[in-house]
Parts: sequence; structure tokens; C-alpha cells
Amino acid sequence: MTAPINRPQEGTLLELRNLRTHFSTARGVVRAVDGVSFTLDRGKSLGIVGESGSGKTILARSIMGLLPKRGTIRHGEVLYAGQDLASLGLKGMRKFWGQEMSMIFQDPMTSLNPLMRIGHQISEPLRVHLDMDKVNARATALKLLQDVGIPEPEKRLDQYPHELSGGMRQRAMIAIALACGPTLLFADEPTTALDVTVQAQILDLIQDQRRDRNMSVILVTHDLGVVAGHTDEIAVMYAGTLAEKASTTELFANRKHPYTEALLRSIPRLDQPSHTRLLAIGGRPPDLITPPTGCRFAPRCPYAEDKCRAEIPELEAASADHSFACWHPVGSPRWQSKQDELVSTGVLSASGGIA
Amino acid sequence: MRYFAQRFLQLVVVFLIVTFVTMVAIQAASKDPARDLAGPLNSTEARVEEIRKHYHLDRAYPIRYAYWLKNLVTVDLGNSPTLGASVRTLVGQRAPITLLLGLYSIVLALAISLPVAVYAAYRRDGPFDRFISGATFAAVSLPNIILAVLLGYFFATRWRIFPYAASKIWPWDNPGEHFKNVALPTVTLAVGLVAIFVRLLRSDLVNTLQSDFIVMARAKGLSPARILWRHALRSSLFSLMTSVALQFGGILGGAVVAEQIFALPGMGLLLFQAVQQKDLLVVQACAALFALAVVIINFAVDMLYAVVDPRIRHARALG
Amino acid sequence: MSDTVIEIPSRPNIITSLVRRIPPLRKWKFGLVLSVSYIVVLTFLAVFANVLPFVRRYNVLPKGAEARRLASYRGKPSSEYWFGNDKLGRDTFARSVYAAQKTLTIGLASIVAALVIGGLLGMLAGYYRGWYDRVLSVIFDVLLAFPAIVLALIVVGRFFQGGRLNLGVFEMDKRFFGVIVVLTLLSIAPLARIVRAQTLSLSQREYVLAARGLGASSWRILVREILPNLLPAMFSVAFTGLAVLLVAEGGLAFLGFSVQLPFPTWGFMINEARSDLTKGGGWAVFFPCVLLFLTVLAFNVIGDRVARRFDIREATL
Repeated sequence: MTAPINRPQEGTLLELRNLRTHFSTARGVVRAVDGVSFTLDRGKSLGIVGESGSGKTILARSIMGLLPKRGTIRHGEVLYAGQDLASLGLKGMRKFWGQEMSMIFQDPMTSLNPLMRIGHQISEPLRVHLDMDKVNARATALKLLQDVGIPEPEKRLDQYPHELSGGMRQRAMIAIALACGPTLLFADEPTTALDVTVQAQILDLIQDQRRDRNMSVILVTHDLGVVAGHTDEIAVMYAGTLAEKASTTELFANRKHPYTEALLRSIPRLDQPSHTRLLAIGGRPPDLITPPTGCRFAPRCPYAEDKCRAEIPELEAASADHSFACWHPVGSPRWQSKQDELVSTGVLSASGGIA
Repeated sequence: MRYFAQRFLQLVVVFLIVTFVTMVAIQAASKDPARDLAGPLNSTEARVEEIRKHYHLDRAYPIRYAYWLKNLVTVDLGNSPTLGASVRTLVGQRAPITLLLGLYSIVLALAISLPVAVYAAYRRDGPFDRFISGATFAAVSLPNIILAVLLGYFFATRWRIFPYAASKIWPWDNPGEHFKNVALPTVTLAVGLVAIFVRLLRSDLVNTLQSDFIVMARAKGLSPARILWRHALRSSLFSLMTSVALQFGGILGGAVVAEQIFALPGMGLLLFQAVQQKDLLVVQACAALFALAVVIINFAVDMLYAVVDPRIRHARALG
Repeated sequence: MSDTVIEIPSRPNIITSLVRRIPPLRKWKFGLVLSVSYIVVLTFLAVFANVLPFVRRYNVLPKGAEARRLASYRGKPSSEYWFGNDKLGRDTFARSVYAAQKTLTIGLASIVAALVIGGLLGMLAGYYRGWYDRVLSVIFDVLLAFPAIVLALIVVGRFFQGGRLNLGVFEMDKRFFGVIVVLTLLSIAPLARIVRAQTLSLSQREYVLAARGLGASSWRILVREILPNLLPAMFSVAFTGLAVLLVAEGGLAFLGFSVQLPFPTWGFMINEARSDLTKGGGWAVFFPCVLLFLTVLAFNVIGDRVARRFDIREATL
């Protein structure tokens, strides 16, 4: 395709420095994203995991600059290939959107224009960004539909979104996102609106395309299971901040943040006996208008003490590919003593599952 | 296809009911329809009886109506005693003026309201939007009689920019004079329409602009103009189209006022005069034509929905 | 005019629901207060026109020297004649107040009648669907396809002869009654359509389905579950509808199809005096115009405010 020729294959693609996105609303300022920093290398994929309301979608959209101007306050830097995106302005961003970075949305039913043929929707960015003529754009659109594995692509070009199945719609949306050969692809809960059977296919498709095109992918989801097999790194987000970030294998093997631990405990596992009770996380995510002082997870954390409620732990690197923000991480003395307490009172079994 | 047929049938029924009720009510309201139709001048008893026979006024209403329908098909609807011409000639002369008037006002209103509404929705709650919101609110509240009197006074009497007693000039004879003649009545009708259209379209657009596929369109890197005109506008046209159909009856009603004030010899004026002079057949013919126009517009808009929205097209093709 | 209601999926996305609308402008509240006060004052004048000391000389033609004196004023407002006087020397203020009495009564009676009839028909059509809906839809279409002026001729014509109409408790001028009937007939169809659409969506709501599941009778569901939820919309439409009816009455009166002398309405007064516009009779046109415009505007403002209060989307009337 028409990817820039001199695109470097390695190195840092994206760097966030203390990104904060606040919304001013009638009730007060919502701190949806509150000081997030990380880097993402070219060709790598990062999963952002969090409950609904943790700010993960807002994070993705503020990196891309897709938030409404009104009422949005954005601080911090987003460096894309060394360039600060905030300095680009809306016009400059428009050149990036679709071409350099693009996004796959959660619900293909509402995110595809219901009144426009699929072919037209795919060829639109081609014609706008790459100045293709009609015939060329149509041919490229057809090729894209084949790439994303839609059956009878020729016929689909002239169909409307409501005529496709849910899985096909999501494939069509991926085709639109891939049209101009982006360097960075955001996927915002790409499988939530789909049947379970289709979910894995869509995730595999995204990963295949990532490898083929050497894209970086940021996969936003509430489902740890989705990111487990499909991303290089995972960032766990809680109440607008990063709780923990590590490579996928490291995170699952060696989780440090109590929130990550709690998340993992809430997923059923094959190595546990059936009918093992899952441990739900008590309480509710904090109000983002007046977040708790200190660690934001403290009110729901079984290991929290006064320090956690008073001082904010910074995201600190424990090793090259693992950083977390916690005063008493998994494995610390306080964690150990509390853990023993829970086991002795019979809440937890010795194996870590619930008794 | 079944849907179209059903809808068409429904509108035919509507047309028949309107014309039947009109006929019965008009003739029942008159003490003696035959005497009214004989006219004030030559109303000898023999003449009245002759007319009673000729128009079957001695028969029951359904039979009278059947004869009227037959006459409608052959476009021979009798004569007007007061205006001394056949109803067919009268309506044929007057109808095009009113039709053009309605058409001009709708086209003018759409031409103004589309860009205004799009820009107001794009810059929602900005100064332009607020100004337009206030202005359309005032315009919606401005009765057309007031508007017409004001326009007539300033533009015709005082400044003499446009003629007052408009005469009938066809656009193909002298376009300049034609548009000069219909300018004031057109504006009279269009102002209220613009206000209604802008308010409807703006509020629909504001809703559409919040939907997911607009965020998607932005993420594709499309320009605001493209997003507004290609993506948002089309999804926001439904209320506007419904409104055009709904307002059409009102436009024709407004045409009566406008034509009366600016002395434009259209159907509205004809109907007004016929009503005053109890020219029953002319009233019936005018009412039928009004109803026909409303019915056709409604059918057309109904079909337009399907053109605009493929989902309706498919749902109907199946139904 | 389509009867197919296509749900266009417009799930508001996360961000727009977060960024709440800027709170309503303050000047609108000011507008509401102004509108309500205006309507209250106007209603007060209209109701007590007969006893208020400063509303006098209604329908009095000045004679002789006074007539000449008034004519030389060219109808300008003065301390004696607040709104000036017309070419016959009649007091425009007194006439305007009496016109308000007639216009407001006609508008109010018509909108109430139309809301009751249209609301009932709309609810039946929306709730029972099927044949009810089909038949009623045809009736609404018929009403919409009727030219207003023909309707006015037929109905007002029937009551043209004048005299009084005795309806037991009510006794009124026949022509007056005719105008109310015309305006009611004109507004039934649009109102019924709004109510029908609302009922259609309300009757799919969970609480209605739940009530039906519990074995509640249709009548009970309509009265206890659906009607209370229709009221806010109907309340808002009552005001905007009233505004529309005042405009319509103005048009009919202007064409001479409304009530006749000795009871002029504003539209009638405008038509009566407009031939004198060039002869310095501007004030006699100006004041009825201003009153009509302000009254329509005030009802629109109130209706809009109510609609916003209950979060009702702009209805097509």
C-alpha cells in the first residue's frame, strides 16, 4: 500500500508524559485521566485494561485528540514519533487521523454510517488522504475487505451496514481503520458488542494485521482475557491513573498491584476446581470529581493503611518491563501478613483461590 | 412494493373523503345550491330548475358525488356564474401561480435554512447559534398577516421596490417581472418556514453530531465540511421532510392570505372570492385541488424517506 | 407523515454524556417571567374589561367637534386614547382589550377541546394500533388535507346567520362557536399525531409491559400508566398550540371568517385599518399587530420553557 517509504521499523513511537484530561461539567471537574505516562514501541501492542469508568476510553481518545473541544482540559505531552501532538492543532491532527493513527470503535452498528454503502465508507479516507480516484479507491477497498476476511467482498462493497452481520460489520470497520495504512491503531473494546464466537477471530485479525503492517496497537478493554493472548504489554488503569504496567507474561506471572490481583481473582481459571467462587472487588470505583486523597484504590484495598490514604504512590519501575504504583505491593510484608490473616479466617484458600 | 401500494391506496381514500365531505358540507350549507349556481342575475325559476337538473342537485349526495367524480375525470366541472367562465378555465389559469408560489417559498426556505442550520449546529451554543435561535423564535411567532402588511407597506407602498397590486405574469414570458410580482408573497410565506425548518434541522443535527458514526468520521480524518454535509445532514433530514409535508397544507392556507393582501391572482384569491360569492363549484374544485396537492406531497415525501434511508427501503421491500 | 417509525440508533457516546450541556441561559428565565407577566396582565384586562374604569368608550363613535378633533390627531396615542384611535374615532385601546377577550377565549376553548379530542384519539391509535390506527390515520390525513379556508366556510357558514346558540349552561354567539369548531378541527390532527407517536413509544416501555403482565386492563394502563407520562408533552404543546391557533385565528379574522363586529379580534382590526396605513392611520394597525405578535411570542416562550423543563424534543406542529 501507500505507506511512507522511510518509516523506521523500530524505536519509540508514542510517549505520554503526565497526560491529564479533565472535563468541566455542571457538577464539577471530572478528572477522567489524571497523570498517565508510558511509552510504546513501534510494532508493539499495548493493552489498556480497566473497569468501566476508569478512563481508558478517554485516555485513548485524548491520545488521538478526538475529544470535543468544549469543556475538555488537556495537560501534559503526547509525543508521537518525537512530535508533540498538542502543538499540531485541529487541522494538523486531521492529517494524522486515518493516515497515521486510526481507531476501531466498540459498536460497529452505531459507528458505521447507516446511510452510506460500505464501499464508500472504506474508500472515503483513501480519496481524501491519498487522492485516489474512484476506480482506484474501489479496487483498494475491495482488497481491504479481502484482507480482513469478509466473504463475498465484491458484493459487500455495495451493501449498507444493516445488511451485514455483527462480525462482518466489525471487519468492515477494521478495513476502514486500516485503509490508509496507519502506524498506530487504537481498538476501543473492539469485541464487546460481538458474539463470543466471533470475538477471538476479530482479535486474531487485529494481531495478524499488526504483524503484516508493522503497526503499533493500543487495545482498550475491560476484559483481561481479551488482552492476555493478544498484546505484548498490559497497562492496568484505575480511576484515571495507571496502577501497573508490565509485559503480558510478567503481569500474569508476577502481578504487583492489589487491584491487578483482585482483577485476576475475579476471572475463572482452568487450574481451579469447578464451582470455585470468584472474588468480587468490594465497593465502587471512586467519584472522579473528588477522587480519594492518596492511593485511589485505598478505599477498596484489603491491604490499605493510613499511608495509602494520605500519600499518592507514584508509578515506579521495579524492573525493565514492570512498573506499578503501590505502597504495599503483592509480596510485601504487609501484603503477606494480611494474606495470612485472610487465609486463617477462611476467606481465601491457601492456593490463592477463595475457600 | 406492498407498502407503496398500501400507502397510495390510503391517500386515494383520503382524497375521496375530503372531496365528498367538502361537497356535502358546501351544498348542505347553502339554502338552495341550484339558486346559488344560477347566479344573481339570470335566476328565473326555469333557469334554476334547468341548473338543478344539469348538476343533478335533485339527486342524493352519493349520486351527485359520483357525477362530480365523473366530471373530475373528464375535467369538465361546470361553469362559474359569477366569474362567467368555466371552472376548468378558471382553475387552469389560477392554479399554476399558487403552485409556483408554494414551490418558490419552499425552495427559498430550504436554501436559507440548510446552511444556517448546519452552521448553527456545528457551532452549537456559539454566538451565531444563539442569535439564530432568538431570531427563529421571533419569526415563528410572527403571524403572516402582520408580516404581509408590513412588507406591503414598506416595500410596495413606501419604497416602491416591488409592485403592490401584482398582476399575473408567467415566468416564461418575462422572468424579471414575474419574480418581482411574486417576491413579496413568497417572502411572506418563506419567513415562517425558514424559522420552522432551521429549528427542526438544527436540533436533529445536534443529535446526529453526537452519534458514534460522527466520531468515527472524525477519526477517519475527514474535514468538518465533509462530515457535516455528507455524513450528518443526511441522517438529520427526516424531521425536516416530515415538516415539509405537514406544512404544505399551511402554505396553501397562507397563500390565501398572501394572495389576498398582494392581490396576486392565484388559486387562493379565487377560492376566497368564490367562498364569498357562494360559487359552489369553484369552491369544490379548489378544495379538491388543494387536497390533491397535499396528498401528492405527502406521498412524495413518504417515498423520499426510502430514498434517503436504505433501511426503510429494505424494510418496505420485505413488507 | 410516514407511519413507519424507524428508530435511528443514536446511543449518545460516552464523551458527550460526560460533557453536559451548558446550563440554560439566564435570559430565558427572564423571558419566561416577562411572558407570564404579560399574559397575566392581558388576561386581567380581558376578564375585567367591562368593569375597569380605564377601558371605556368601547364601540363608541365620537360625534361632531370631537370627531373632527380626533381626525386631526391622525389617530396618534394620547393621554385620553392610549393606543390612539381609528379613522372613525373609535378607541383602539378599548377595542384591543375587547379583542383580547374574544381572541383568548377562542384560542383557549379550541386548544382545550383539541387536546381532549386529539389526545384521546391519538392515545387510542397509538395504544391499540391495528385497525383503530389505520382508520384514525385516515381521519387525521383527511383533516390535514382540508384547506382551512374551506373548513371555515363550511363551519362558520353554517352558523353564519348569527343569533345565539344555547348549549344548556353555555350560551354564545353562533359564529363565535363556529370559529372555535374550525380551530379545533384544524388542530386535532397535529395534536393527535404527537400523542400517537408518544403513546406508541410509551406502550413499549417496561413498566407498561409489566402492568399488562400483571393483568391490568387496557383502560387502566391507558389512564394510570400512559396518560400521566403524556401530560408533560401535552402541557407544553398546549402553549405552543395556543400560539399557533392565535396566528390561525388572526388569518381567519383577517379574511373575515372569524367573529364579526361588534366583536372585532386583532386580525380583524388589522385588516380593517390597513387601508388607512398610508393616510396616517398607522397606529390603528400598529397596536393590534404588536399585541398579536407579543401574545403569540409569549405563549411560544412559555411552551418552549415547559418543553425544556420536561426535556421534550421539539414537536412538529
